Amino acid sequence: MSTAELRVRRVRQLVPQFSDWRELLASLLPGIALVGMLLWAQSLQSQALTYSGLNLLLSAAVPLVLAAVSQMFVIVLGDIDLGTGYLVGLANVVSARWLAHDPLLALAVFAGIVAAYMFQGVLVHLRQIPSIIVTLGSSFIWLGCGLLVLSIPGGTSPGWLGSFFNASPPLVPMPVWISVGVALVCYAICFLVPYGAVVRGTGANHVAVSRSGWSIVKVRMASYGLAAVFGILAGLALTGTTGSGDSTASANFTLLAIAAVILGGGEFAGGRSVPVGAVIGALALSLVGPVLGLLNVSSDYQTGAQGLVLVVVLAGRALTKRVEQ
Amino acid sequence: MSATAASPSEFRESRLERARSYADMFPWVWSFIAAIAVWIAIALVAGRGFGGTLTSALALAPFLVLVGVGQMFVITAGYGAIDLSVPYVMTLTGFISTGIMNGGHGSVLVGFLAAIGCGLLVGVANIAAIQLLSIPPIVATLATGLMVQSWAAVRAGNFNAEVHPGLHDFVVRQWGPIPELAVFTVLLAAVAGFLLHRTAWGRALQAAGQNRRAANLAGLRVNLVLALAYLICGALAGVSGALLGAYSSPSLGIGDPFLLNSIAVVVIGGSLIQGGRSNVPGVWGGAMFLILLVTLLGVLHINVATQNIVKGGLIILVLALAGSRKAA
Repeated sequence: MSTAELRVRRVRQLVPQFSDWRELLASLLPGIALVGMLLWAQSLQSQALTYSGLNLLLSAAVPLVLAAVSQMFVIVLGDIDLGTGYLVGLANVVSARWLAHDPLLALAVFAGIVAAYMFQGVLVHLRQIPSIIVTLGSSFIWLGCGLLVLSIPGGTSPGWLGSFFNASPPLVPMPVWISVGVALVCYAICFLVPYGAVVRGTGANHVAVSRSGWSIVKVRMASYGLAAVFGILAGLALTGTTGSGDSTASANFTLLAIAAVILGGGEFAGGRSVPVGAVIGALALSLVGPVLGLLNVSSDYQTGAQGLVLVVVLAGRALTKRVEQ
Repeated sequence: MSATAASPSEFRESRLERARSYADMFPWVWSFIAAIAVWIAIALVAGRGFGGTLTSALALAPFLVLVGVGQMFVITAGYGAIDLSVPYVMTLTGFISTGIMNGGHGSVLVGFLAAIGCGLLVGVANIAAIQLLSIPPIVATLATGLMVQSWAAVRAGNFNAEVHPGLHDFVVRQWGPIPELAVFTVLLAAVAGFLLHRTAWGRALQAAGQNRRAANLAGLRVNLVLALAYLICGALAGVSGALLGAYSSPSLGIGDPFLLNSIAVVVIGGSLIQGGRSNVPGVWGGAMFLILLVTLLGVLHINVATQNIVKGGLIILVLALAGSRKAA
């Protein structure tokens, strides 16, 4: 694949192309799920879609949105990151412990995390170890580091962080602005700069990409680095919204982030970047808890309902594909 | 391969090759070497008897081996096959079987059958999601896992059943220095090894993991073969959960560590994570390695946080050194 060809593909990929209505429907499924959840909340509580209602419904969504985007940058390569949850937890405790009093130290730790993530990419590439194993091993490392930083939940959120995430911007509440912003930034990374096309190419056929002169190691490093950056941002969001640090509170983010990416149209085979889909998927999954709350259902059922949403959307996608065949 | 006689230098190379090919024939050897190294290290550091350390590790290993063997069957299926629902099945069946046995008021057999039944049910759900809805295994088992997690949380509410005293005795009983449960688990592992290497099903499973298309074209009923792997995995997780519930009374999250550990023991044991080539002894080796490692770090008075870091680092190091072993 030559650079010129890549450029042509890049331009074409700016416009989503659907061969027929079923493909369009399949790609709209996560959005339909999200809108459905919102309307369901509205039918249960008439204040749900007002400014403050939406703010409450989505108050816990921002960390998961960022974690999902982090996972997406790994999944697009055809890899998988089993460390997302504990990475978010580590960033959470580092920011809760140091960001307020010793911001330079916190930033240095964050830089170290990004470097460690890039090293994971190198390891996956050079030793040909499946990413699932490398990230499995490093998930224990993030957890251990997190427990070293704060052995029991605690710490504080720096004032500016809390006031950013709890701000009341015009028109729509903060979680919506952040989600839209994250989606736009990631869309730009995936579709407006050469990196996006190359990384998709790597996920689809890395031999072809490397034969055309790109360094796969660098692509992996960049993707894993981006995954770390968004994972750290997710940890910061958690600190900002909860006001404290807990290295194990976000353990289930690993599975939820994978679920959000797949919900949003990502594929384990790699080669598909779905920045907007991942954000929508994460929003839909984080609405499950509040909707159950409005239904007066015990929070014990929350994870089960999230699993159900995942199955229903994927079943819908499988069915539209089957009709196609 | 050339048929000509080897020159001296080629001969040296071939000896190295041969050593490598032995290692390829017995990929589980490394896990046992690693486990023994850690075992010796514990004896040196703690000055504790070799026997005592081994006994306590053997007492803990069966739970991990049972679920690890199940995970191994699923991973053998290849193409990203993995079962993320096992930890939640374990937690759930701990509650369910203990609830039925209820401190000796109920039947142990019924409790176990219920645990196996739950495991099989989750296996069926996994298979249905994977094969009927064409959901990738990792997501399908993740979704069912989330639902089972909810089920366990609901079952845990108002839970007040006591552990069955007879079953608890069985789980902790020892024949001399050897825990009884470990003996049964070795026997079960032997059965699993027989299933994997000596039966048509086991070979079909490995063939499907190596090249699913070829296996299909060869006339194997791949879907059935894979379904059985998920069912066995679910059932073994169910049994392991019931035993774990009897060992230390059931609690929410009791299965959680088994998510990553069940995968880790399979991979440390020398089975290919890409599927197609697995071995059962390695699951034992991997489980003993992980458990002895935690013991060693405990003996060294290393805190839980650092234990995790060392454990993660070692998993990566071991596999980075073992290097790339492509699916056969």
